[in-house]
Amino acid sequence: MGILSILLWTPAVGALLLAITSGQHAASIRWIAHTFSLLTLAIACRLLFQFDANQSQLQFSEFFILNPDVGSAYSLGVDGVSMPMVFMAALLSFCALLISHTIKNGIKGYYFCLLLLEFGMLGVFLAQDWALFYVFWEVTLIPLFFLIGHWGGSRRHAASLNFVLYTMGGSIFMLISLLAISQYDLESGGSLMASLSQSTYSMSRTEQLLILLGLIIGFGVKMPIFPLHGWLPLAHVEAPSPVSILLSGILLKMGAYGLLRAIAMLPQAAQFFQPALVILALIAMIYGGLLAWRQTDLKAMVAYSSISHMGIVLLGIASLNETGMTGAVLQMTAHGFIAAAMFLLVGLLYERTHTRNIQDYSSLVQVTPRFALFTTLTLFAAMGLPGTVGFVAELHALAGGFQQWGGWMALFSLGILLSASYAIRTVGLLFTGPVKAKMQHVADLTGPEMLTAGILVGGIVILGVMPQPLIALSEATITHLYTLVSP
Amino acid sequence: MDALVILIPLLPLGAALMLGLGILFDWWSGEEKESLTSGIALWTVTMSALLALTLFGADLAGKNRGSFNLGTWLQSDTFEIPVNFVTQGIGPRVAALFGIMLAIVVRFSINYMHREAGFHRFFFVLTLFSAAIQWLVLSGNAVGTFAGWEVAGLCSYLLIAYAYDRPAAAVNATRVFVTNRIGDAAFIIGIGLSYAYAESIDWMKLNTLAAQLSPGEATGIAFCFAVAAFVKSAQLPFTPWLLRALEGPTPSSAAFYGSVMVHAGVFLVCLLEPLFEMSAFAMGMLAVVGLATAIYAYLLGLTQTDVKTSLIAATSVQTGLMFFECGLGLWQLASWHLCAHVVVRGYQLLAAPSLMHNVLGNPVKPVNSVLARSYRLYTVSLQRFWLDSAIDYLFVRPIGRLSHDLRYFDDYIIDRILGSPAPAMRAISSLAQYEEQKIGARLNNESDLFAQGSGLAGKLAEWISALIHAFEDRFMLRGYGKNATILGRRIGRSANRFEAYILRPRYLVLFIFITLLVAF
Repeated sequence: MGILSILLWTPAVGALLLAITSGQHAASIRWIAHTFSLLTLAIACRLLFQFDANQSQLQFSEFFILNPDVGSAYSLGVDGVSMPMVFMAALLSFCALLISHTIKNGIKGYYFCLLLLEFGMLGVFLAQDWALFYVFWEVTLIPLFFLIGHWGGSRRHAASLNFVLYTMGGSIFMLISLLAISQYDLESGGSLMASLSQSTYSMSRTEQLLILLGLIIGFGVKMPIFPLHGWLPLAHVEAPSPVSILLSGILLKMGAYGLLRAIAMLPQAAQFFQPALVILALIAMIYGGLLAWRQTDLKAMVAYSSISHMGIVLLGIASLNETGMTGAVLQMTAHGFIAAAMFLLVGLLYERTHTRNIQDYSSLVQVTPRFALFTTLTLFAAMGLPGTVGFVAELHALAGGFQQWGGWMALFSLGILLSASYAIRTVGLLFTGPVKAKMQHVADLTGPEMLTAGILVGGIVILGVMPQPLIALSEATITHLYTLVSP
Repeated sequence: MDALVILIPLLPLGAALMLGLGILFDWWSGEEKESLTSGIALWTVTMSALLALTLFGADLAGKNRGSFNLGTWLQSDTFEIPVNFVTQGIGPRVAALFGIMLAIVVRFSINYMHREAGFHRFFFVLTLFSAAIQWLVLSGNAVGTFAGWEVAGLCSYLLIAYAYDRPAAAVNATRVFVTNRIGDAAFIIGIGLSYAYAESIDWMKLNTLAAQLSPGEATGIAFCFAVAAFVKSAQLPFTPWLLRALEGPTPSSAAFYGSVMVHAGVFLVCLLEPLFEMSAFAMGMLAVVGLATAIYAYLLGLTQTDVKTSLIAATSVQTGLMFFECGLGLWQLASWHLCAHVVVRGYQLLAAPSLMHNVLGNPVKPVNSVLARSYRLYTVSLQRFWLDSAIDYLFVRPIGRLSHDLRYFDDYIIDRILGSPAPAMRAISSLAQYEEQKIGARLNNESDLFAQGSGLAGKLAEWISALIHAFEDRFMLRGYGKNATILGRRIGRSANRFEAYILRPRYLVLFIFITLLVAF
């Protein structure tokens, strides 16, 4: 068993162990969940250190045939694009578990679902076979359905149903596309990502276009791409905050990651869809930004800002050049940190005050200086201030887009301007202004909360000041991807 | 022994980090934690001083290879910024001396600052400053030195404004900081020019390449670094900032303006000796400015009545003389002068609080009789040559007026088009105002009041966002979110009904017959 299998199955083993533990012992349940997520994180760290960033090929590959008739295989591997995501999945799951102490009812089921979700997410990023990928993609849905539907806010049932229906609807298109490609690969046998990209050369152009369209719809729901984002605001707002962290931190990136793989597989079709994707990306940026600006609900604001920030990822992917794709991969990591930190902090604030309406808050800096520090840094990162990881990512995406379309990137700047306006306004409304008596007894962050926030905000700042290791991590793979998609 | 160099700035930096986090998270506050804070600060700064001494000893014994490279901080195309340190020459020498001085100042402050409200904050800034100044002195490239330079400037700002509740301290701190920005700008331009002309920002490479530069290029680079050095070491016309900088606690004045930071400029010039040698203009400038400052500060010092100001004036005289020596090409003398002056002035400033004991029975010598009779000079010196007011008149006020005009332009033209920021429109500065607003007629829907803009762009954003919101609400959330669910339920119900019909026995039998008919 290779390191990837160990990494993948550790949370699953933890979930199984939880299943046989008695639901009465809250402490032991939490202990098991924390131990296994920490173990997963440790293995992910080890993987990160062993990973050779100079290689563009798959590393630590594991392969054996599952079903010779269909040609599906249990094939795992990481490269420069999936490595940061694997690490982020392990890290954010650990963070989400750390702040799950507020969940009081049904904790056994909650932790079980959360570990299962981690298993599914890791599987999506590690799988190198489309069939396996699809299985893990669907595995993430089940725990999320329960997590939102059982432990969520007041409209949780509508939110969970909406989320699953949307994602399933997208998955159908994805499944049809995947089945269509695998028709061409029967002789070489299998649905491996690597071999499928070979078989697409024998397809006609129309077929390629239709297949990529199906994949774009499938991944676009998750990412989300502009008209397919209807599930996102509701799900993000209603989910409990640890789940919101995973939703925006990792789940959205699954869509972007899949899209990047799909584009590498179908370069001709990607060239065809390029203008449409760019337009959608720019619309998403401005659309999400304007709506975020309009929200009085803090969580809804963060949710819409996610749409805006994922627009940057889409723009980077759609630029189809090296700089842009680097920007997309960086923004995936950056947004993972930023959105997770924002949902974390907003969730912690909600717990203390039980209101998410930003107009109820005022002058918090006096009573909660630590909270103010972390939140301000995160919001600054969200608007792409230099010295934070958001800047590095946005700059790459902007430069990539500029190489491709020049002046149109003024709209990109408009998106950044919008994010600056709501970020600064949020800082102003939360931390400054008149002293309100109701807000004078808000407790500041406690030890574990500070640890969690410190990990995320520390990541934002450290990677912002020293982005080189992060860029180098995916550089070789992106160069390889670029040679695949360049005309 | 080269690897030791990295620990010299990192030890105090670690201490600063610990103290900073401790203050932020409220782990350390109050009197009972004073010994812990001071212990950490003293231990790390002393260790760093000992390490610096060891490094210097190794350099004397010829055990060092000259530089220590830690890796690359940033790389883009041909532009590369390494993290490297020098372990030979003037750097380690000055680092050892600064280390000892800082350790003494830290030890002195423990008693001096006892029971002060900002005790922990003071030691946080002092350790951060120690790290910054060692980084400045030991860094092998211009960007690293600049990082130390900036952080040291920031620390100076924080300590001048130590008693930030006093308006004078806040005003002086800001003035000092702004003056220092001029030098920072010159430093950055210097870095840019070195890269453009010599294609290197490494100090050693820059010095070896200096011989290949044309005199014009060398003058350009040397001029920028000289201006940066003049500002940091408070030479004319920037000298007034030094006199404003004495608002901080005495130990910090000793560390910053008596012994350590004020010499950073001289150090920079000494470090770039080969470059300055290439440019006659830069050398001349060093000599003229240094001499002028020395005379200016000497005359100034004669009329000062408090001990800190007169000591600082004396510091200016000495740094001026150091620049003068550099300008004349007496580099060895200048660097020895630097070292000696660091020690003497550090001692004098630390001893300043007990001046009363020392002057008892030991009266101050009267001023030279020729000077004493010159009343005009007396007035001029008392007014500090009107330098501050001249700068106010020449720069501060015109800029103020310009910004006033721009403000007018902003208010009446830009804001009409782009809108003014929301706080300016709805600023509520007091609770009373807030209550007033709450009681007032604002009873309509709050969410519509929330996303408001002013001006053309603001209104545009407001309308578009309202439009988009309606679209989102109608189609995205209710449309194929809610309506799809309702539709799905309806289809499901009819499917159920259909199924229920189909499974009735009569239909089943009918189906079987039909199947049989088709089959045969």
